[in-house]
Amino acid sequence: MSTKIKRYFLFLFIVSGLIAAFTVYKIWNKPHQNILNEKAIKLDAAELYNNFIKDSTNANTRLINQVVEVTGKVKQVLKNNRNQKVILLTTDVPGGSVNCTLEKNSGNISAGETVVLKGICIGYIGGELELPGDVFLTRCIQLKKV
Amino acid sequence: MIRRTILCLLSILFMINTPAKSQIYFTKNGNISFYSKTILENIQAENNQVISVLNIQTGIIEFSLLNIGFHFSRAKMEEDFNENYMESDKYPRSTFKGTIVDIDKIDFTKDGSWQVNVNGELMIHGIKKNISEPGKIIIKNGNISAKSTFKILIQDFKIRIPTIVTNKIAEEVETTIDCQYEKK
Repeated sequence: MSTKIKRYFLFLFIVSGLIAAFTVYKIWNKPHQNILNEKAIKLDAAELYNNFIKDSTNANTRLINQVVEVTGKVKQVLKNNRNQKVILLTTDVPGGSVNCTLEKNSGNISAGETVVLKGICIGYIGGELELPGDVFLTRCIQLKKV
Repeated sequence: MIRRTILCLLSILFMINTPAKSQIYFTKNGNISFYSKTILENIQAENNQVISVLNIQTGIIEFSLLNIGFHFSRAKMEEDFNENYMESDKYPRSTFKGTIVDIDKIDFTKDGSWQVNVNGELMIHGIKKNISEPGKIIIKNGNISAKSTFKILIQDFKIRIPTIVTNKIAEEVETTIDCQYEKK
């Protein structure tokens, strides 16, 4: 094999190695979904909640891991162990809420207000010791007050 | 006579109903996190939307969470966790149902911290396993918290990790529970 061909193969080897390393690096450092720019399924809090308690199979396929934009009346504002704000939106079921954890504690939300929040719907948990369940939304951002 | 019977019945009903209800505490925003140390990178994730119910009379304690609610610093780790390891589509929830065996030693009327033992059934990835772990019940200004740190072996729950990434994922995962309860 001539030196020219050897050099050519070495060059190819290095270039493909660099491309592979760059691809792995890009995949590994892929950023999280940007909620604000994502297309969302729009619905109100009671509708979202009812979707899960009336037809869970359909709700699971249509809504889980999807970005939703939910409008609802604030029942309670809490803080979790990580000091993140948790907004509970009223539903038709007493004790059952759309439980939204805010990504950033920006904005001022108080009980009684009607707000529009956008976040990822992760599903419904309920039925534990007769405790009414909640539909959970994570990484929420506050879009506006109505 | 009738009045006395009614009064008697009412007090029995009151005795049956009231304590059972008032002894139940819950949270829907508890915290469960896990940590796994590896040669390449430490893997850490937390879920802040854990439902937990605690009955301070019977000691029954339950936890339930949606696996998809675990957050990782890297989006790729979160994706792999849900799609390849936990198979969150197929097994959306992880649960624990158990009892604080030494609940009687806790005085819930006083501030303090109590070491307790919890026995019960842990379900992850559709696999159920009986565990017995220590924990702590903390009472501060009348508010109840439960904390515990224990280790989970991923092979116990048939979580398959491809050999190409085994060096990135430790076989033992340190799990921490931190829940603050409110009265039902």
